Amino acid sequence: MTDHEPDALNVAPGAPHDSLYSETISYVIGLGLALLLTAISFWVASTGLLWGPGIAVGLVVLAIAQMGIHLVFFLHITSGPDNTNNVLALAFGVLIVLLVMIGTIWIMAHLAANMGPPPAITNLQMQH
Amino acid sequence: MTAGTEAPTVGLTHGASEDTGLGNRGPQSKSIVVPYGFWLFVLSDIVLFSALFATYASLVHATDGGPVTNQLFDRRLVAIETVALLLSSFTCGLAMIAAKRHHMTGTQAWLVVTGLLGLVFLSIELYEFTSMIAEGAGPQRSAFLSAFFTLVGCHGVHVTAGLLWIGTMMAQIWAKGFRQDIVRRLLCLSIFWHALDIIWVAIFTIVYLIGTLP
Amino acid sequence: MFGKLTWSAIPFDQPIPLITSMIVIVAVLGVLAWVYWKGHLPYLWNEWITSTDHKRIGVMYIVLALLMLVRGFADAIMMRAQQALAVGQSQGYLPPEHYNQIFSAHGTIMIFFMAMPFVIGLMNFVVPLQLGVRDVAFPTMNNVSFWLTASGALLVNLSLFIGEFAQTGWLAFPPLSEKAFSPGVGVDYYLVALQISGVGTLLTGVNFVTTILKIRAPGMSYLRMPVFCWTSLASNLLIIAAFPVLTATLALLMLDRYLGFHFFTNDGGGNSMLYMNLIWIWGHPEVYILILPAFGIFSEVVSTFSGKPLFGYRSMVFATLAICILSFMVWLHHFFTMGAGADVNSIFGIASMLIAIPTGVKIFNWLFTMYGGRVRFTVPMYYTLGFMFTFAMGGLTGVLLAIPPIDFLVHNSLFLVAHFHHVIIGGVVFGVMAGYTYWFPKAFGFTLDERIGKAIFWCWFIGFHLAFMPLYVLGLFGATRRMQHIADPTWQPWLDVALVGALFIMLALVLTFVQLAYSIKTRDRRRDVTGDPWDGRTLEWLTLSPPPHYNFAVLPDVHGEEAYWTRKQTAIREDQLIEEPNYQPIEMPLNTPTGVICAFFASVCGFAVIWHIWWLAILGLVGACAIFVWYAWRDEHEHIIPVKEVRANARERRRIRMEHLHELSQST
Repeated sequence: MTDHEPDALNVAPGAPHDSLYSETISYVIGLGLALLLTAISFWVASTGLLWGPGIAVGLVVLAIAQMGIHLVFFLHITSGPDNTNNVLALAFGVLIVLLVMIGTIWIMAHLAANMGPPPAITNLQMQH
Repeated sequence: MTAGTEAPTVGLTHGASEDTGLGNRGPQSKSIVVPYGFWLFVLSDIVLFSALFATYASLVHATDGGPVTNQLFDRRLVAIETVALLLSSFTCGLAMIAAKRHHMTGTQAWLVVTGLLGLVFLSIELYEFTSMIAEGAGPQRSAFLSAFFTLVGCHGVHVTAGLLWIGTMMAQIWAKGFRQDIVRRLLCLSIFWHALDIIWVAIFTIVYLIGTLP
Repeated sequence: MFGKLTWSAIPFDQPIPLITSMIVIVAVLGVLAWVYWKGHLPYLWNEWITSTDHKRIGVMYIVLALLMLVRGFADAIMMRAQQALAVGQSQGYLPPEHYNQIFSAHGTIMIFFMAMPFVIGLMNFVVPLQLGVRDVAFPTMNNVSFWLTASGALLVNLSLFIGEFAQTGWLAFPPLSEKAFSPGVGVDYYLVALQISGVGTLLTGVNFVTTILKIRAPGMSYLRMPVFCWTSLASNLLIIAAFPVLTATLALLMLDRYLGFHFFTNDGGGNSMLYMNLIWIWGHPEVYILILPAFGIFSEVVSTFSGKPLFGYRSMVFATLAICILSFMVWLHHFFTMGAGADVNSIFGIASMLIAIPTGVKIFNWLFTMYGGRVRFTVPMYYTLGFMFTFAMGGLTGVLLAIPPIDFLVHNSLFLVAHFHHVIIGGVVFGVMAGYTYWFPKAFGFTLDERIGKAIFWCWFIGFHLAFMPLYVLGLFGATRRMQHIADPTWQPWLDVALVGALFIMLALVLTFVQLAYSIKTRDRRRDVTGDPWDGRTLEWLTLSPPPHYNFAVLPDVHGEEAYWTRKQTAIREDQLIEEPNYQPIEMPLNTPTGVICAFFASVCGFAVIWHIWWLAILGLVGACAIFVWYAWRDEHEHIIPVKEVRANARERRRIRMEHLHELSQST
């Protein structure tokens, strides 16, 4: 395998591939957006202004947005044809992550629900 | 440059084959193949973290009568850690831009900054861990704490490995210059470093923010 | 200084492990001494141990697998003998603590160090050749993967001689595997060995997905790849997806055992059911990692020996990918009885039944491939037919087990044991035996003896059925798995039949080695002169046997499905080979000692961790990492094969093929 000019239909994930200005700008925008979203996350988590149960959902949405910013601005994962393999790999990874996390949480919750009442002696400790 | 695996002047050329879509014009170059393989490895690492997250989610209430999240986590420290790591991702990107243009001082400088910011992150985390252990909230106290220390600690171990890697790359660039394979490794390092920040987003959101909601 | 390691670790008071260890040590030392005194060490080091050639690495994986097959089978026959003897009043010859180690070692070795290496070895050898390229994406990493796997195998086998093995079954469920209930080193041997080899396997996954997606001959689009490459892709995607979960789960158990964490303990809020959930998230995809390449092997064998293209190529691809994705959605069927409730159980039960559908599609495709073809009943074809019969039945018992109410009756009984052996032997073992026979001539330049090969098949087929059909019956009678003693004397006849079956399988194994020795001795009678002994259809048959280090002088240009077949038919029709290409010098990766040295340090570290020799563990870990930095510092990555050599080899191949062509056209 040798190195020749970059293949037009394939781009390495994370590889910068433009002028100095546009590459740098990509990172600056990414940083700015990520800082903004981080600040918003911390604010959302501590404010009393939002409806309680919605806060966790909002935080998750903000986290996903932040991850997206990292993927696009830092890792240069785009939807162009040159990135298809990278996106497919990412999609597969995300699918597995979702199956593992949601599957585990769902199953463990059901198992816990079907456990009988804990022995009396530990009952005191469970109440906190 | 030797033609290696591709002999473009073979009687039946690539042009004669029907171009039926992606990836069939022969083996891709190393600058594509190596980062793609590393990207797959990073995705596998993210699956590993998902198992740890799933464990944490299952055990977060298994406190065995011991300390709970609200008693333990300090959001201000977490905010500083987060900003430090995010900035380090940014400076890592700048290092890559310099490396692509073979700027020795620029690359090394930004790599040093990245490393220092990573060190800030780790110091805060180490401080957090040691103070928790000191007040009796160590990983052996309860399943929740085992899960917390393992999830966050695993991320910290990855950051540590990344710092060692940064040091090694700095030494290698200084010793051998911007050879193609070295720049490829730098690219892999930056993919790794950005991925660590992505995982941290999940950690601070789920463990520290959602975990300490009133 | 030496942690927990003392002289009492050596089983002086246990005759079976002691004598076995003595024999093995003498044999190993004998082989090493012979190698050294005969001067073979430089050859072995340069041509095999440090090789980055996927073909060499593939062969080494299979050698490891065959050796571990012997070890794993020794455990099996001991178990069958014990169960046949220890009925009613008799206690047999194995006390429970030994019996427990034996069935645990049997499962661990057969899955991790026999089946996985065999399958990975075949993929290693074949995939780059079928893709028409020179090597995998990361040849050095390939070498490292092999040696890390070997390191794990070494540690598991070391436990026979120093210390003990786990008594917890091949998955080491807590709380039994926790420190409180397994304070010895057995579970630690298990955990450390699997963590080390797990890294190797994960790297293989990354390597092969990258290779299949990014490194193919010009013109080979996805839908022109051989089906074996598709199944290898699916299998390696599953490796990337599943093995991190295994690593995480075993690490959590190690943290519990070594640092007193509370993930799965009975106290401190631990939840041992979480372990079950996590380990099976890995465990189910694992069995598909094993079976998918076997399906690919059968696809190749069926189409070659029916003289027809595989029926329904696209539906095969689709079915493969469907199995790949679905295999990640069924894991709870391994613990229906753990109490998740009817809602959860039904979803996973339905998913488990659904996954049988794409497999059914494949079976029909294989049958339709044979239909209308001129079928040649060679040894690989025997295994294929045996597989279709055996695996289909085993799969049906799987569909039975997928129904939760039925599973509640037979979970963890001998019925379950019979089911998974049914599909693993009928599917994976028959598959790798077919692949081994089919591709042996490509690797070594001569075919295996056919008659002994058929005898081996029949021994496996008869032996398997005799050994495991009684277990289905016993399972329905209520026999639990893993029993050292059988209380009900009416079960004796069934157990006796099972023992006879095991003896047939033993005969199959003996004959396998006899076949190998005999075939080598009489290899001149069965030389593969042309490189295409089976009239094959895929690109590996384009090369001579064995292929040159770089596989192809020039990467073949691929124009349609069955790249090699079309090219061959054109050559036969026109009575000439394609125009001689313009030869170029070829760059190939250098050999490297990185793998074997890293594995050495990993083994040292692993052993030290098991015995709590902390200074040695740190030394081992540092060494294993340092070797990579040393490797990264090298300046030369490749060597160049000069054009003269490439041209000479290629012209020799063309000459042989021309002769063969003339023979063919004269006979028609």
